[in-house]
Amino acid sequence: MLELNAVTLAYGPVMAVREASLHVRQGEIVTLIGANGAGKTTILRAVSRLLDPKSGAIMFEGRDLRGVAPDRVVRLGLAHCPEGRQVLARQSVRDNLELGAYIRADRAGIRQDLEMAFDLFPRLRERASQLAGTLSGGEQQMLAIARALMCRPKLLLLDEPSLGLAPIIAQEIFNIITNLNQQGVTILLVEQNAHMAMRTAHRAYVLEAGQIVAEGDARKLADDERVRQAYLG
Amino acid sequence: MPLAWFLQNLVNGLSIGSVYAVFALGYTLVFSVLGILNFAHAAVFTLGAYLTYVLAVGEFGLNGLLAGATMPFKLPFALALLAGAVLSGLAGMAVEYLAFRPLRKRGADALLALVSSLGVALILVNLIQYLFGAEIYSFPPDVLGSLPPAILFHVGEGMVAMRTIQAVLFGVSLLLLIGLVWFIQFTKQGKALRAVAENPDTASLLGISVDTFTLGTFFLSGLLGGMSGTLIGVSFGLSGPYFGVAYGLKALAVIVLGGLGSIPGTVLGGLVIGLAEAFLPPELSSYKEAVAYALLFAVLLARPQGLLGKSAEEKV
Ligand SMILES: Nc1ncnc2c1ncn2[C@@H]1O[C@H](COP(=O)(O)OP(=O)(O)O)[C@@H](O)[C@H]1O
Ligand SMILES: [Mg+2]
Repeated sequence: MLELNAVTLAYGPVMAVREASLHVRQGEIVTLIGANGAGKTTILRAVSRLLDPKSGAIMFEGRDLRGVAPDRVVRLGLAHCPEGRQVLARQSVRDNLELGAYIRADRAGIRQDLEMAFDLFPRLRERASQLAGTLSGGEQQMLAIARALMCRPKLLLLDEPSLGLAPIIAQEIFNIITNLNQQGVTILLVEQNAHMAMRTAHRAYVLEAGQIVAEGDARKLADDERVRQAYLG
Repeated sequence: MPLAWFLQNLVNGLSIGSVYAVFALGYTLVFSVLGILNFAHAAVFTLGAYLTYVLAVGEFGLNGLLAGATMPFKLPFALALLAGAVLSGLAGMAVEYLAFRPLRKRGADALLALVSSLGVALILVNLIQYLFGAEIYSFPPDVLGSLPPAILFHVGEGMVAMRTIQAVLFGVSLLLLIGLVWFIQFTKQGKALRAVAENPDTASLLGISVDTFTLGTFFLSGLLGGMSGTLIGVSFGLSGPYFGVAYGLKALAVIVLGGLGSIPGTVLGGLVIGLAEAFLPPELSSYKEAVAYALLFAVLLARPQGLLGKSAEEKV
């Protein structure tokens, strides 16, 4: 479904990711783990076309994303929930969710999905008319995920959804990720919390200083001595 | 304090102040989205006044390339105002396209964009001078049709005069302000525009085209600029291609006074400066142009972020 082929990414002269190749098949949860600064966010930003690759190709459903405008990517069915829960702080929870459905015009369907989002995250329903900036960290993360789902994506990119959350709330988020996947959403999950990510995902990639150094079945990789030492402590 | 005197100044101040607010909102809109002051805005204001003049009066002046030319048609004032404003909106889009976008795409410093917009302003003003000449253009007194020039109200012993043009200024400005706030606050595209202003990357991840909305912002800004240029021009005449400069400076005082980037602040700032000018005692009237900045300095001493601006810590 998603395929990166020897993708090299840089910020000006600063190299961030070197010849990374990875793929995500329909129906999978794939996780990309790595230390802070490894280049995980950079890879997701390139998939969403916020960043142009220096070389290599990014394909989504067989289509080369080169030259596609960033606001067009989501129309192809690819939603990106960015790092640091980028909710629109100055707009209400409901407006955030409705903007998640910006590309859609089917009002009835949007209203239905809004209800589904509220069922999935009941705390958002209670705070529907509150400004998003006034939510707690965990609530903002829920809002960011719910908003990304409002476009009915085929593939969901999640960038560190558990960052800064209490363990119990992080666990809740991972459960929801598993549920979403069972409902048919393919997921590429970027995490520093390797333990939880490896338990949730089918397959995993390990990124180290901009290069993919290991890949494979998430459970097997979790038993790998090197990976254990470096990421699972 | 005689009531009539007070009401008269209130009428004068609110009508001119509402136009200041509309004009200054053009700066505020662009600032909210790009974080940059668009110095070409005052030139678009001037352009709007000239365009409406030509559309409504149908004639050019005695100097300039178009001296003595006549238009094949004349529009009623309301239509000319609208058409002039839409053309100004297009001019605003051209400013974004030529002066701002190319620099932004190259990641240039914001200061360069500012200088670039100043360059566009000079080009526009010179173009106006070349085409229309440097003479004074005054709208004919009957431009609004056969309306009476003023309505008089008796208040106690005294009298309050509301000039028709003042009513037009206030009415049109009010409609524009209400329309703008409704659009930004309650429509889907308005909410998308606010998303672009708050976080362009997040907006584009939601499928909102940052480029399109930036262009749209410049259209709105130009529209407000052209409209306010015409309204000022109808009241006081067009004193020449540079007549926007003084108002541009005043509008800059308005947006800083109200709080940079704040729409309610801009409206409040415009009204406050309009009222301050109106209530200025007649013996000080030669200092009228200084009122805006005197007020600005006084307010900034007490509130550096402006009347309704957020302080640096509050900004996310
Ligand atoms: N906007 C930027 N400009 C320059 N360098 C950046 C920028 N963003 C990230 N980097 C660098 O790119 C590398 C990868 O960063 P990032 O993708 O954010 O890592 P991760 O998400 O894995 O923590 C880091 O060395 C970081 O310093
Ligand atoms: Mg990151």
